Amino acid sequence: MSKPRVAIFDFACCEGCQLQIVNMEEELLDLLTHIEPVEWREAMSESSERYDIAIIEGSITRQQDEERLKLIRSRAKVLIALGACATLGGVNKLANGFDDLNEVKKCVYGDAARMPHLLTGQVKAVSEVVPVDYSVHGCPINAEEFGYVIRCLLRGTTPVIPNFPVCVDCKMRESTCRFEYGEICLGPITRAGCGAPCPAAGMWCFGCRGYVDEPNINGARDVMERYRKTVDDLKSRMALFNTGQEQPHA
Amino acid sequence: MPIVKYITTDQLLVWVNALIAAQTVYGVQAKEQRFAYDALADAADLRLDFDVTILPPKKFFQPLVETIMKFHVDGHYESVTSEEPFIIFGVHPYDVVAIAQMDEVFRANYADTHYLSRRERATIVACDIQNASPSMFAACMGTATVEDGFDILLTKIGDGYVVDVRTAKGEALLVALGDAPDADAGTLARREQFWDDARRFLNKYLLKCKPTDLPALLEDQYEHAIWEHNAGLCYSCGSCNMVCPTCYCFDVQDEVDWTLEKGTRVRKWDSCMLRDFATVAGGHNFRRRREERYRHRFYRKGQYLWQRMGQIACVGCGRCTTACTAKIANPVELYNTLMEG
Repeated sequence: MSKPRVAIFDFACCEGCQLQIVNMEEELLDLLTHIEPVEWREAMSESSERYDIAIIEGSITRQQDEERLKLIRSRAKVLIALGACATLGGVNKLANGFDDLNEVKKCVYGDAARMPHLLTGQVKAVSEVVPVDYSVHGCPINAEEFGYVIRCLLRGTTPVIPNFPVCVDCKMRESTCRFEYGEICLGPITRAGCGAPCPAAGMWCFGCRGYVDEPNINGARDVMERYRKTVDDLKSRMALFNTGQEQPHA
Repeated sequence: MPIVKYITTDQLLVWVNALIAAQTVYGVQAKEQRFAYDALADAADLRLDFDVTILPPKKFFQPLVETIMKFHVDGHYESVTSEEPFIIFGVHPYDVVAIAQMDEVFRANYADTHYLSRRERATIVACDIQNASPSMFAACMGTATVEDGFDILLTKIGDGYVVDVRTAKGEALLVALGDAPDADAGTLARREQFWDDARRFLNKYLLKCKPTDLPALLEDQYEHAIWEHNAGLCYSCGSCNMVCPTCYCFDVQDEVDWTLEKGTRVRKWDSCMLRDFATVAGGHNFRRRREERYRHRFYRKGQYLWQRMGQIACVGCGRCTTACTAKIANPVELYNTLMEG
């Protein structure tokens, strides 16, 4: 069997998720025995229009990006969304929370806001533009999980991505619940699999892996009251990675 | 002749350090504002005044993540078991009771060699409860003190500890202790008094029935409104299961390494509160609704294990009550509500 041709494309993001792949170091050599990278801006100069697997990093912010993404989708057999910007829209989606995007652009880019390459609009996750086959969650992604997903693809099996809250990971490393410190933590509604490094380091969960399926939003309201917080407090936390998903569908 | 010694706190430290020098000792230590079992490097870190640990000592017999098999895709495989002896220092009576229950669970039907291999190599140094945890009801459950299921039992009396040795494994640890006097009659009388108090007072919540009444109580409560009401607040986060000393469910996954030919079979703790817990091949989920999962846990604790092995699967440690963010996990509150009809 010939090696699958893999292309990695970046859209609006910090490219930190690609960097996690580069950072796989010696494991990178294992990866390269099984795949043939044909385009990967952060690691090579070549580019290609022929590939089996497209890995998409970043969120989609411009019309021209939507068209480029659709073209990539038409060329790829398998498409993977890589990291929170791609899977959720990520921090870029904070812009969608403002009524006037032009004001946001002026604030961010100043005089350059009218330059043609900054013709940005409503921010979208990759799945809002094209069908996504697999998602590697997180900000940044966990390289171990990325490797696992790739090995599953190569073996033709379905990767098992956790669909339970971060609380499970927190209990496993015996971290004290952030609510006990009087903080609002997004752990109870956020997809685990990260190993809960943030609560272990003294920070609440930011929700970078997105919601679990069927998060209990009504339950969250009650918990806010119990801990003398408001729903607005909770929403302000959720906006960082989950703008536009304050009312996730059941 | 039973061996019952009395040692000073200083002697305890010297003894534990001698044990650490000889083999792996897991002991209760401070972790943030709570307590947890971890490998002990220095006896000074041991906190026998702990109220409760975040995770129960079960984690040493059924690790959170455990490789149980190595395989090659050509069909060859080998089972993986651990054979390292170890000591767990500072196990509260309710956890001793829970361990005995888990022993029975993992021995029943198909004996679980991975669990039993670790369990047989463990020496359990139990310790009577010096400080009650915020949500405990061990006295209600009859687990505030314990008669057996340990190798040594420590009880703090005055400025020292009564060291009650019950097994050959326990006796083996005494070599490192050196000379110590037998506990005198006065000290033993004080210990009896301590136990009497523990059996009466180690409750922060009061269950309004005997634990053995729970199976009958649950008999006709399957449609009670409390299940749906509380499930409306439940995150299905699994915290109550994860911290429970008598929950033992696990998930098994195969993972291949980069050769794509060799791999490991790994089992991890699982939790019946999680949405996909009861999803089976074909995608059917037989406890799809949140209230079905929420109800299941209380039936399992109060009735199902009783039907299977004549034991109530709750030891009153209160860990679930503390761990639950929504504050709906307290078994005492739940069962008392059912009693009100």
